[in-house]
Amino acid sequence: MKGIFLVGLSHHSASIAVREQVALEGEVLKAALAGLRSTQDVQEAMVISTCNRVEVLVLAESAEPARRFFLDRAPDADGHLYEFHGSQAVRHLFRVAASLDSMVVGEQQILGQVKEAYGLASSAATAGSFISRLCNRAFATAKRVRSETDVGRGASSVSQVAVELVEKIFGDLKGRSILLVGAGKMGALSAKALASLGADRVLVTNRSRERAVALADQTGGHARDWSELSKLLIEADVVIVSTGAPHFVITPEIAHATMKARRHRSACYIDLAVPRNVDPRCADLDSVFAYDMDDLQKVVHATRSARAEEAIRAEAIVEAEVMAFFAEREARAALPVLAALRRRAEEIALGEAERTLAQLGGKLDEKGRRSVEAMARAIVNKLLHGPTARLKEAASSGDSTLPGAAAELFGIDGDQPAKGEEPGRSSAAIVALSDKR
Amino acid sequence: MSVTILRIAAGLYAAGAASYILFFARPRHVRASSTGFWLVGLAFLVHAVSIGFGCSEFGGADFFNLRGGFGMLGWVGAGAFLLLQRFYPIPSVGAFILPLVVIAVLPGLFGLGPDAPGVVPSVVRLPALKLHVSTAIGGVALFAIAFGVAVMYLLQEREVKGKHFGALFSRLPSLDALDKLNQRLVRTGFAVYSVALVTGALVAKNAWGSFWTWDPQQVASLVVWLLYGAMVQLRHVGVHGRRYALLTLAGFALVLTSMIAMGAVPNVTRHGGNFQ
Repeated sequence: MKGIFLVGLSHHSASIAVREQVALEGEVLKAALAGLRSTQDVQEAMVISTCNRVEVLVLAESAEPARRFFLDRAPDADGHLYEFHGSQAVRHLFRVAASLDSMVVGEQQILGQVKEAYGLASSAATAGSFISRLCNRAFATAKRVRSETDVGRGASSVSQVAVELVEKIFGDLKGRSILLVGAGKMGALSAKALASLGADRVLVTNRSRERAVALADQTGGHARDWSELSKLLIEADVVIVSTGAPHFVITPEIAHATMKARRHRSACYIDLAVPRNVDPRCADLDSVFAYDMDDLQKVVHATRSARAEEAIRAEAIVEAEVMAFFAEREARAALPVLAALRRRAEEIALGEAERTLAQLGGKLDEKGRRSVEAMARAIVNKLLHGPTARLKEAASSGDSTLPGAAAELFGIDGDQPAKGEEPGRSSAAIVALSDKR
Repeated sequence: MSVTILRIAAGLYAAGAASYILFFARPRHVRASSTGFWLVGLAFLVHAVSIGFGCSEFGGADFFNLRGGFGMLGWVGAGAFLLLQRFYPIPSVGAFILPLVVIAVLPGLFGLGPDAPGVVPSVVRLPALKLHVSTAIGGVALFAIAFGVAVMYLLQEREVKGKHFGALFSRLPSLDALDKLNQRLVRTGFAVYSVALVTGALVAKNAWGSFWTWDPQQVASLVVWLLYGAMVQLRHVGVHGRRYALLTLAGFALVLTSMIAMGAVPNVTRHGGNFQ
């Protein structure tokens, strides 16, 4: 009996030095999938490869092929691998897709990455019906988690907080400019994030001209001379300050003069430097919005603790979906019994009807014949209606004893292939079953 | 009859307001805002029917007192809000405007109007008066919406500046959007109100014999017009944001006090229902 196995390593278990040895992309990944699939006992396979995790999912006799996938590429990965089987593997995949296992819980990229992994496995024909059902359930779980909990809400990094703040002041940044003062690393990151709001221009200035030019290249902006600072401040709507200066670069006097020259159009100062570069008294001016590192960090902490709380609710959703996934599988397992039961009953009923009609000979007209056949079918339907409903119900609630008992009671071998039954009908029955829940 | 229909309309307005407030409190329920929109649209139509019945029952005389004036204000305000949602869809505004509409409609629910159809003076037949009444109410309705938007601006500014990044912060629109919306409403309201002022003078010439008679209503309207006119001008010299929002509040407070004073103090003005 083949089972589902998941072997992988992630930011929880391995350093980037290990992760980068096994991370694959594009064509290489496709080739690796094909390699997995050609392994003797692997029926289906999928590989999720992102910068934070590499995971191999196989429908196989054992986890061995998945383990070998890692050990072939990085012999020292052994101590970092985790391995899940059956419901644990399903739960893990659902948690990953719902971003509950991410480095920043609730980040939204991972779902897209899992979808990509599934797309790749489908196009490489290594994802069969099992992985398809599994992944669709995982995507549905992620969607539920996202819409029913607040696990993805709020800004979870300093630059995201900056973006959110600026959005609440200016809406988008069309027609506005960003000024980056100083060469701090956080500053460049935030400027990049803000530029994505559609700012017309990113201006960069630094005491050293070369650093300014380098930063401008990095952020897609224009380098300006430090001596122009007061003029640049007038132009800029959002100013990100992160210099190494041990004193205030923007004092209330400078801010006041700037605002006057700007005709009091709103300005936002984001001070990412420690020690601070923007005098907090600047915020007392009308239309000036000033924030320092502490303000932004507070929001990040608040978001993280709020997400941690929401994650508890999300875990419950994942648990319910894992159960539902297996219940659906059980229900599918019960279907052959049902089909066989119905087939047997119909065979008997129609056989008896035929015998009766033969005995009556030509005494019945066409209408009468049809009535007898219809009656035989109706008896089968009425008789089997109750058992069918109860079997479906038992199967979907995960109870596999009743289908087994039914098979035994009626003398049916549930696993025998359904001859003459078109596949369309049974899959329609599956849909009806999963809709019922 | 008209009061019964008005009660239905008021119920629908209240349900619409509740939907918008629910949307504001729980932004995840996106459907709440569209439900609110349809409820308010329905209330607007029912309200229109009630106004029609009111005209046939009381001969329109009921709309010349303060109660009727507020009712009309609520109706036009709701209509203006619906138009606004159509062209600048910011559903969170609904949570601030629709309660105002409900309050404006409330006084009408408890009045039964005059016992007999009132005698409507012949002035009412003037085309200028029709334009005067509709533009006056339209202008005030726009100022009322601007008032709501200004309140939203001040709340959001307190959140953004005071670094409270809580529930209000995430639910209210950006300062820039609120400021621009406020400016548009004030500008449009001012234009509409200007028409009301000019046509009002024309009606005064007909009814009272002179364009300008220092009637308290005329003086109050002129002050309101000057204040909003100043706001339109001040925009060009860089007054915006917080100060603009405060001016909007002051302007609407003036509109409201003058409206109530003229309607509640007997015989202070010949304007409106006091035609004797």
